[in-house]
Amino acid sequence: MINSAPTDYLFTTPRKLWVVIGRLRRSGPFLWVLPAGFCVVLIFGYSILDLVQQSFKYRGAWVGFENFSLVLTDPLFRTAIFHNFLLLFAVPILATLSFICAVLLFETRKGMKFYRSAVFLPYILPIPVIGVVFGQLLQLNGALNSALRALGLNGLALDWLGDPQQALWTMGGIIIWKEVGFGTILILARLISLPLETLEAARIDGAGFFRLHLKVTLPQLRPVILFYIINEAIVMVSWVFNYVYVMTNGQGGPGKATVVSELYIYRSAFQNKSPELAATAALLLLLATLIFIIGFFRIQRNLNKGPFDE
Amino acid sequence: MKILSKAFSVDCTAAVLLMSLSFTGVSVANASSKPFPTKAVTLTMWWWGDQEAPGAKLWVDDTVKAYKKKHPNVTINTVLQTTDGLVPAFAAAAAAKKGPDLQYFWGGIYSQQPGWDGQIAPISDYIPAAELKHYVNSSAELLFQGKIWTAPWYVNPSFPVLARTDVLGKYNLKVPATWKDLLYVCDVLSAKGVPALAGGVKDGWFGGWLYSIIGGQSVSSNKDVVAAVVGTQKFTDPIHAEWWTRLQETKEHKCWNSDINSLELYQAQQLWKDGKAAMTVVAGPDAPNFANAVGASKVVVMAMPKWSNGKFAGKMGSTSQTIGITQWSKNKEVAADFLMFSHEKAQLDNWFKRTGSMPADDRFDLGMVKDPIKKALFQSALPGAPYLENFIPAQLDTDAIFANVQLVLSGKKSGKDAAADSQAVMERLRKTDRNLVKNFTAWSK
Repeated sequence: MINSAPTDYLFTTPRKLWVVIGRLRRSGPFLWVLPAGFCVVLIFGYSILDLVQQSFKYRGAWVGFENFSLVLTDPLFRTAIFHNFLLLFAVPILATLSFICAVLLFETRKGMKFYRSAVFLPYILPIPVIGVVFGQLLQLNGALNSALRALGLNGLALDWLGDPQQALWTMGGIIIWKEVGFGTILILARLISLPLETLEAARIDGAGFFRLHLKVTLPQLRPVILFYIINEAIVMVSWVFNYVYVMTNGQGGPGKATVVSELYIYRSAFQNKSPELAATAALLLLLATLIFIIGFFRIQRNLNKGPFDE
Repeated sequence: MKILSKAFSVDCTAAVLLMSLSFTGVSVANASSKPFPTKAVTLTMWWWGDQEAPGAKLWVDDTVKAYKKKHPNVTINTVLQTTDGLVPAFAAAAAAKKGPDLQYFWGGIYSQQPGWDGQIAPISDYIPAAELKHYVNSSAELLFQGKIWTAPWYVNPSFPVLARTDVLGKYNLKVPATWKDLLYVCDVLSAKGVPALAGGVKDGWFGGWLYSIIGGQSVSSNKDVVAAVVGTQKFTDPIHAEWWTRLQETKEHKCWNSDINSLELYQAQQLWKDGKAAMTVVAGPDAPNFANAVGASKVVVMAMPKWSNGKFAGKMGSTSQTIGITQWSKNKEVAADFLMFSHEKAQLDNWFKRTGSMPADDRFDLGMVKDPIKKALFQSALPGAPYLENFIPAQLDTDAIFANVQLVLSGKKSGKDAAADSQAVMERLRKTDRNLVKNFTAWSK
């Protein structure tokens, strides 16, 4: 019988057990992610540590912040960073276009599947294919300009990739063309999952197409659009290498017109054989990307806060 | 057929003799005398060259097969690299210290740098001096402190200008011999909407060619270029800078196809083949193929028209493309043996048969060459002008030469600014590559 049991056993052991169970419950999620976390630390942690170490050395010898000074004073690196910054202007365009496309697809009754595939197709095309096709298409005497000239629009037949003043914007346009599909599908998926009652109620209350989607739909899509914006910002800062490499034969030309930070890192490491400068630039790029990620999480946390949250 | 080349006057035998003599200063010893292994050996060779010497792949296959017949225990796997991937792929392999046993290198700095970085073993440690002295161009470009880094494979007369007499003749024009003539041809043809010269700089490489064939006319030796690299001369000095102004003139006189910046070199050369341009510049080993494609009788092979009275004005450069043995290879002796095998008479003759270009070996029987275009090219390379691009740091080539040629030819930069930018890039390079001055100074001695 329980009552006959010694009191210390009765009260302490189950209590200890509950404490252990409680602790296990609290640490449960951590235990579940432990194997994956271990892999991440092993793969990325080691690489990052090695990167940090390399950025303070030259041919194995400690040089302090010399590499940082060399990279930060390099006009080419600054040009590359500036180009990444300019490409960030594509992000609001991408978000707006994706939202418009998603709404149009949502409102389309006939052929939605076809249009959805058509919008998403560029996103699944490999970048080298896009690079080669656009590289040919956008030559000064390529198909696009031939068509423009045939229509009498000679003034619009520019040297899209060959003119240093046009090349980066052309590149941005191609990136928008490819990336807009991802945003559209992302926003559309969220749009479809929204409760229809709200939209119906707004319609019954007399909201027109623009008012409905600007005042009712858009606020509800804010988290997913924000996710997309942050994702694309990271793309523009550290994920445009493939486009530049394929379309400019790894040169970032004409001149330095399309050099971006990743190309700078790649060329430092593999063409110019300066792994230390590449590591330093990569570390700086990593820090810049981290700022975006931290910023995203902070904004997301604020958005997810309800009116009763502290 | 009319061939314009100053080197035409050079007696072939005398030239070969001269090349042989130039090797006498090379201190090469220690060639390994280990017995040939009897166990199974596998070598990997990463190479390039079919792009500029079509038929090279067939030769590689033939040679590997013949070597297998001679040494059944040796297997050689060959991997043809892309133009853009050649340098980065080897850099990645070198970082991992894992990859090919035999690696293709362009001459000059492209062979020196891997040696300085400890990525390749000097070929002169494995190939006897008596053998190496026959390899064309190894002393000027590949020698470093008494050692030769890589083994020349084939000669690249660099770079011939091909002129189509049919296109020029249509407008009553003659093949230009001087810079003034060239600009006149440009003026006449551009007024008719025909580019005098076909070129493409999107991929950058052509910029380096232009530097060598225009810029080479004002220097007195490759040592001038090395002096500008180490800082005892400047890239803004007239002998190094004036070629930029000449390049700017070609833009102002509308010499080039208007889409030069949006075309790759090989795409642009097609314009010449199609008869849409009067002249173009091609890789030496490929020149006979280009000439034959449009009819050799309509083609004049020549050096870039002269704009100066410099020692090398009107001459073609000469460089040899090479093969090196990687430092991490476990079978260096076998790799060297294969390289020596590739210089045996049967292989030299087969190279010429397969590619129509010149093997980098003075034992090659020039009597085999009947085609006047090939003959002129080969003679121009023995001995030719130094190929300047091979004497500057590769990064100066890409960051200053390639980039500024694109800008000058797009009309966005003047020749003077391009020279100033080249100097600025060079000054910066001396800071980032802390061993650069030391290595280049040692190389120039």
